[in-house]
Amino acid sequence: MILIELKSIYKIYNVGGEEVRALDGIDLDIKENEYLAIMGPSGSGKSTLMNMIGCLDTPSSGIYQFEGEMVQEMDDDQLASIRNRKIGFVFQTFNLLPKATAQQNVEIPLIYGNIRKAERVKVAAKVLEDVGLADRMHHKPNELSGGQRQRVAIARALVNRPSIILADEPTGNLDSKSGHEIMKILDQLYQDGNTIILVTHEDDIAQHARRIIRLLDGKIIEDSAIKEK
Amino acid sequence: MILLFLENFLISLSSIFANKTRSILTALGIIIGVVSVTMMGTLISGLDKTFESSMSWLGKDILYISRYEWFGDMEWWEVRNRPRIRSEYVDKIKERSKYALAVAPVMQRGASLSMDEKETRTEIFGTNNDYMETITTNIVQGRFFSKNEDRSGARVTVIGDGIKEAFFGENDPIGKYIKIDNVKFRVIGVLEKQGKFLGLFSVDKQAILPIGAYNRIFSKRGWMRLSIKIPENKIEEGLDEISSVMRHLRGLKPNQKNDFAINQTKAFEKNYNTLKLAIGGTGTFITLLSLIVGGIGVMNIMFVSVKERTKEIGVRKAIGATKGMILGQFLMEAVSICLIAGLMGLSISYVLSILLNKIFPSTLDLGLAIFSILISIIVGVVSGAIPSYQAANLDPIDSLRYE
Repeated sequence: MILIELKSIYKIYNVGGEEVRALDGIDLDIKENEYLAIMGPSGSGKSTLMNMIGCLDTPSSGIYQFEGEMVQEMDDDQLASIRNRKIGFVFQTFNLLPKATAQQNVEIPLIYGNIRKAERVKVAAKVLEDVGLADRMHHKPNELSGGQRQRVAIARALVNRPSIILADEPTGNLDSKSGHEIMKILDQLYQDGNTIILVTHEDDIAQHARRIIRLLDGKIIEDSAIKEK
Repeated sequence: MILLFLENFLISLSSIFANKTRSILTALGIIIGVVSVTMMGTLISGLDKTFESSMSWLGKDILYISRYEWFGDMEWWEVRNRPRIRSEYVDKIKERSKYALAVAPVMQRGASLSMDEKETRTEIFGTNNDYMETITTNIVQGRFFSKNEDRSGARVTVIGDGIKEAFFGENDPIGKYIKIDNVKFRVIGVLEKQGKFLGLFSVDKQAILPIGAYNRIFSKRGWMRLSIKIPENKIEEGLDEISSVMRHLRGLKPNQKNDFAINQTKAFEKNYNTLKLAIGGTGTFITLLSLIVGGIGVMNIMFVSVKERTKEIGVRKAIGATKGMILGQFLMEAVSICLIAGLMGLSISYVLSILLNKIFPSTLDLGLAIFSILISIIVGVVSGAIPSYQAANLDPIDSLRYE
């Protein structure tokens, strides 16, 4: 089943009277349970594409369908709702709320999903357990290691059972050992049937994916499948 | 919706407590504002109570005839040139007026009262038997002097509660003698305790004597006024009638102005209301100003808070917060600061009003308390509106990148 369908997507900025094509006619289909890596040098448009797929940004022109829904026609609240229910973000800098515990951080998407407190506590605890943080639930981010923080972030991304997980350089701020652990979790999530989109500029990270897209100057220059290892 | 409301409240509380010093300083502006709102209200209602009780002492159904207007703007020499009020008027007014229920002449002067070694200076009043009907004070011990005592100029006196306390304490004063300017008078009655008139002077230290005795012993000179009681529902008619009787007594022609004044408590009320408006107006202005200053403080801190938490706002938006939810979160934070400050201000006012009540009637009433809390909530909403709107409309991508 096709999850995401992008048809001739353009994102054009006007910088100082000059037209910048961040995305220059992107066509891309992403199916359910794909493991996709988006690669490209900085300025190639991979961040813009990720924001577009993550419904944080809307295209200047083109059609974006998410599970059959026309994203470019949605208003801010509908976009927020899609992000809340269908998309799980994992950021390079973790982006946890520093004053909240791991448990509370994981609960936030559930709050915006209007889930009752008792239910929230249960679900958040379960997901934290799944990423191996059962004994760290009541710690604040500054009491956790980088790898643990990123696992909290993954738990937060998973807690609403999203259709896709968008990971933007998830290992960029981690040492190689922690990075390896995080990739293992993502691999496992893929094995369990989740759809994962990785944005990275590191080849060995991209090798975890089953499909690699390379961007340059807002265009897809390569779309290749990787054989099962 | 209620769930989110509660969540926002908890988020805002944690954010307020995370920046204690900052929150307290911000709250201070609102605390001062709320204290001034409530103290202002308390003060005015206290003034009202004082005024009410003082006015009831004067009596709304009494006309006071004298040479000068209570709140007139006449020059002193004009007043001086007016003819005196004479004691002959008393019987003539009684004769000609159908509204005058009681007419009492009142002469007043300072005098020295003494008994044994005790001595005090006070005001003495010379009047007639009708006097009791023109005041609202009652006799609590003994009696007032009779018509005969009045006519014969008997040396009897009715004293105020303050004099009784000072000279006799717990002892029975009736039948005892006191000296007024070294002339012996027999105490025949004691007036009920009154308290202070408009909070200014005590009416409890007084002695009332028959006007006959007063004139004989203390001279007929001095100013006299007349207190005239009229039916409460006929005040306007009574005023007109007494005025025409007086004009007739004075032999004034239709084109001549009154050369006497008829005062009533209404004049006090009018002046009091002007005063109250002035106090209230100034107070409201100052209060408003302090609330605005407090509100600006809150707004300022909210802008800082939004700026500091730009990244947080970006994260929250990325994981599904709508504009409304972000708006609610920051608005709730502003309202929470103001609400907490309001409650603190209210407690301070409550304590202040209890302390103040010892010297001035002041009680913080519930309506005012609720009003002040409402005001703090409104200040919170107003001062939080723009920063919260700004927060709600931040671009999620830019905010996520913000460091």
